[in-house]
Amino acid sequence: MQLDSKQPGGPLADKWDNHIFDLKLVNPANKRKFEIIVVGTGLAGGSASASLAELGYTVKTFCIQDSPRRAHSIAAQGGINAAKNYPNDGDSVWRLFYDTIKGGDYRSREANVYRLAQISNQIIDQCVAQGVPFAREYGGLLANRSFGGAQVSRTFYARGQTGQQLLLGAYGALSRQIAAGKVTLFTRQDMLDLVVVNGQVRGIITRNLISGRIEAHAADAVVLATGGYSNVYYLSTNAMTSNISAACSAYRKGAVFANPCFTQIHPTCIPVHGTYQSKLTLMSESLRNDGRVWVPKTPGDKRQPRQIPESERDYYLENRYPSFGNLVPRDVASRNAKVQCDADKGVGETGLAVYLDFEDAIKRDGKDVIAKKYGNLFQMYEKITADNPYEAPMMIYPAVHYTMGGLWVDYNLMSSLPGLFVLGEANFSDHGANRLGASALMQGLADGYFIIPYTIGGYLSGASIEKVSTDHQAFRDSVQAVEARIQKFLSIKGRRTVDDFHRELGTIMWEYCGMSRNDENLLKAKERIGELKGEFWENVLVSGSAGQFNQNLEKAGRVADFIEFGELMVTDAMARKESCGSHFSEAFQTEENEAKRDDENFCHVSVYEHGGDNKDPVCHKEPLVFENVELTQRSYK
Amino acid sequence: MTQEKGEKSINLTVKVWRQEGPVVKGRLETYEARNISTNMSFLEMLDVINEELTLEGKEPIAFDHDCREGICGMCGAMVNGRAHGPEKGTTLCQLHMRHFSDRDTVVIEPWRSRAFKLVRDLVVDRSAFDKIIQAGGYISVNTGGSPDGNAILVPQEAAEKAMDAAACIGCGACVASCPNASAMLFVGAKVSQFALLPQGKPEAEKRALAMVREMDDLRFGNCTNERECEAACPKEISITNIARLNREFLKASFF
Amino acid sequence: MNWFISTLWSSIGKKLMMAITGLCFCLFLLGHLAGNLTVYGGKDLFNAYAENLHALGPLITLIEILLLFLAIVHVLTGCFLFYGNFRARPKRYIKKKSVGGRTIGSATMPYTGVFMLGFIILHLLNFTFIDKADQTSFQIISNTFSSPFYVMFYMIAMVVIGFHVSHGLWSAFQSIGANHPKYMPFIHIVSIVFSLLIGAGFGVLPVYITLIS
Repeated sequence: MQLDSKQPGGPLADKWDNHIFDLKLVNPANKRKFEIIVVGTGLAGGSASASLAELGYTVKTFCIQDSPRRAHSIAAQGGINAAKNYPNDGDSVWRLFYDTIKGGDYRSREANVYRLAQISNQIIDQCVAQGVPFAREYGGLLANRSFGGAQVSRTFYARGQTGQQLLLGAYGALSRQIAAGKVTLFTRQDMLDLVVVNGQVRGIITRNLISGRIEAHAADAVVLATGGYSNVYYLSTNAMTSNISAACSAYRKGAVFANPCFTQIHPTCIPVHGTYQSKLTLMSESLRNDGRVWVPKTPGDKRQPRQIPESERDYYLENRYPSFGNLVPRDVASRNAKVQCDADKGVGETGLAVYLDFEDAIKRDGKDVIAKKYGNLFQMYEKITADNPYEAPMMIYPAVHYTMGGLWVDYNLMSSLPGLFVLGEANFSDHGANRLGASALMQGLADGYFIIPYTIGGYLSGASIEKVSTDHQAFRDSVQAVEARIQKFLSIKGRRTVDDFHRELGTIMWEYCGMSRNDENLLKAKERIGELKGEFWENVLVSGSAGQFNQNLEKAGRVADFIEFGELMVTDAMARKESCGSHFSEAFQTEENEAKRDDENFCHVSVYEHGGDNKDPVCHKEPLVFENVELTQRSYK
Repeated sequence: MTQEKGEKSINLTVKVWRQEGPVVKGRLETYEARNISTNMSFLEMLDVINEELTLEGKEPIAFDHDCREGICGMCGAMVNGRAHGPEKGTTLCQLHMRHFSDRDTVVIEPWRSRAFKLVRDLVVDRSAFDKIIQAGGYISVNTGGSPDGNAILVPQEAAEKAMDAAACIGCGACVASCPNASAMLFVGAKVSQFALLPQGKPEAEKRALAMVREMDDLRFGNCTNERECEAACPKEISITNIARLNREFLKASFF
Repeated sequence: MNWFISTLWSSIGKKLMMAITGLCFCLFLLGHLAGNLTVYGGKDLFNAYAENLHALGPLITLIEILLLFLAIVHVLTGCFLFYGNFRARPKRYIKKKSVGGRTIGSATMPYTGVFMLGFIILHLLNFTFIDKADQTSFQIISNTFSSPFYVMFYMIAMVVIGFHVSHGLWSAFQSIGANHPKYMPFIHIVSIVFSLLIGAGFGVLPVYITLIS
């Protein structure tokens, strides 16, 4: 398989402009004749649907929730980066580009990341015009704050609800196009298959979640903006319906998948409290500005935190990384918490937590100052745990919350299947092996507002696309296959619930393919996932019928795909014999136990092609070429 | 240890509205929820009941939920007669079982409003909210061509007030708890957000008129200033936004 | 004119009508109370006030017609609102509790309203549409209040009016969009004080009259 990233030539700064000029255009009068399906209504899908409809395309938009406003982008707290340099602190497009590519541990494409940095400024302008209530200075100008991985203040925010406000902006734009009749909206629809006709992607098969009806939808191109796959770990900060099924169906139909093992684990989440826990909650990274992370020096010390004297506490981040201290990047902080807990120094009932202590900050600045900075976070923490962080230290533990891997796309955001475009977290393109804070919102909106409107035109005007209706045999076959799979789930009538399987999968993935990986564990994971898969297809219990609102049935399909996808993640983790960013392989570390890249052998994107049912995937490599930045070892000592 | 301090197991009698579809008759069914940890969230308690029901070969309770961190607005039900349960400023997914006592009886009903058709059990169709937004809950700007972000000055106070209104998660608790099933808080919040910002001014009149007309057409009830919406709102959005909507609407109508 | 009717017929328009007519009634109550307070100055003063008032002739008729018109608008709009609100929730809750927004006044508006309508009709029959040829105004009221049952009924009615007004007054401001964080607390206080004033001011009258008769 030939993987052409289609990165344009010329100087880095001119690539995107040149590329826009080179792309063929669709005549305005012809745009309405092209039908485009967009799956997902988060930042990427919502903004793409609106922007494409504004251009004149006929758009059909699908979402899984009852309203496009509920996509999980809404939960992003911190902010969105842009290289505006409003604070006059030396930011530039180049610096944002450089920070992002370095933060990703040099496993992303230069041209893509540079384009992202360039577009970042337009996003802010667009969102302000839409009425997003960004935080303001007294003079009425936009306010900025700092975020991890950067030494400049470039993060725009709307309290702790930036994702919500940006999404509502895109949802407003989408709603306007729905009212104008340019977008047809389909809610409570689960995409279950992708339809390929003559090598071109021509439609999707969905299940209407209310009636259970299987529907076929044809179009001239399909845009997937279906988010990430953190829920493969069962417990993550993702929403309950976030799933990999749409991407998986594309993968099975021939779209290749890139870097599946790159999953970001966020260090400051509220720890797991019991076996029935369904969801993890993130606490903003900003807490590490004032909170001090520590564990007891003595393993197994079960005293109350305030009874442990200063001399018996291990402020391990400050001790190990004197210059960055508690503010080391996410991957480093997460890994170190795990090391402490593995050494039996973890705190709390489960021993899977570390303290994040504000005692010194409160002594130093006073309770009022701390309350002003973090009041809402402290309140949220107390709501969930019933503990008061002003009195006792918070307990935190890392949790999965973003996936850098995704369907492989070229510079045009088109997958290896012609006519299938992939946006936002669902693609792999911009964050390499580790994403920096406040970059996910930027990427989702860049893809949807400012990239796909250009590149999809280039495809539609260049490709010869015949008329295809849902009567085509390919659609009928797909519908049949989807229905057969649903009947299979219902006919097994086993003894274990879908959630039970999902929980076990999550445990396997977290234990053996989580923050720290080694071959022995990965092999174990592979074996246990294989067993789980076998048992799932014989022993799963799905109640109800196909023709009704059936949440168990919905989940069954998603978990079946997660199991299959888990295998792919493990395969990729085993193949990447280096440590980089979020992927920490224990065999590859420096003397100081830091991640050690192998740029000679692994400076590439690992791309997987579906090998057929129950067959190993075929691995391809897209080499990463760095012409503008020098690859260096990250150090935070 | 501190986190588990006060953690208990409680047993509850849970009465849930079960209804297979919009046209069939529904009824309250009683379930015993045993050994519920007080650290669980309310939805996790329902998960436990559902898993048991599934294993018994019965149909689990259908309920809407997604982010489970109080921001997507997907979840919501009446718990003992209160929208999102007894805690102030809390969505159902953030309500924890420590706010209940052993042997409590908990009655769970779906949102009730003519504009929200019941789908199944606790699931209702809130697409009426989307229709109201489609009528004008946006600023009409196409992608591209916007001026620099700092070209539009927004006083900090206006931005803060707009943000207060924009915090709405569209869950429908305002309608559910309103004695008249009115959607004025939802509409008021959206109209206010844009009325407060300079970007929203050019279409302010059109927006207020169109959104109110749509709201009326969808047969929501009328506001009688009972303030139940404000008290039930998980984001604690103030009824000053309803007054602002009234003002905007009357201004647009008469001038 | 189409815009005018469609504005008034909208949900906010109906509330506007309730608010404006309601505020007019508040003003009327204030004037009515001020006049009635002359009772405390003795029967002569009260009779003099009544005579002076009736001497206004056509002006009084005009005000009466206006009040009748306002009453019709207030009552009819109230009925439409009540019916619309009733229809907006075809299936009621089995269990419903207030979350703290409602007050007794706000929760009982339609019912206190109906009660007041009945009371006003009776009140008019007792005091306005009555043969005044051979008795003074004071005699009319002292006769009517000689029945302890009527006194009781009248006092209950005043409490009911107090509740209706306690919600109605501030609510009218909210409905016309006059809600500002700086002034709303004051309007709330005024509403409470006003309702107490109306309830107590009218309510104590029959007691005083029975005492001096």
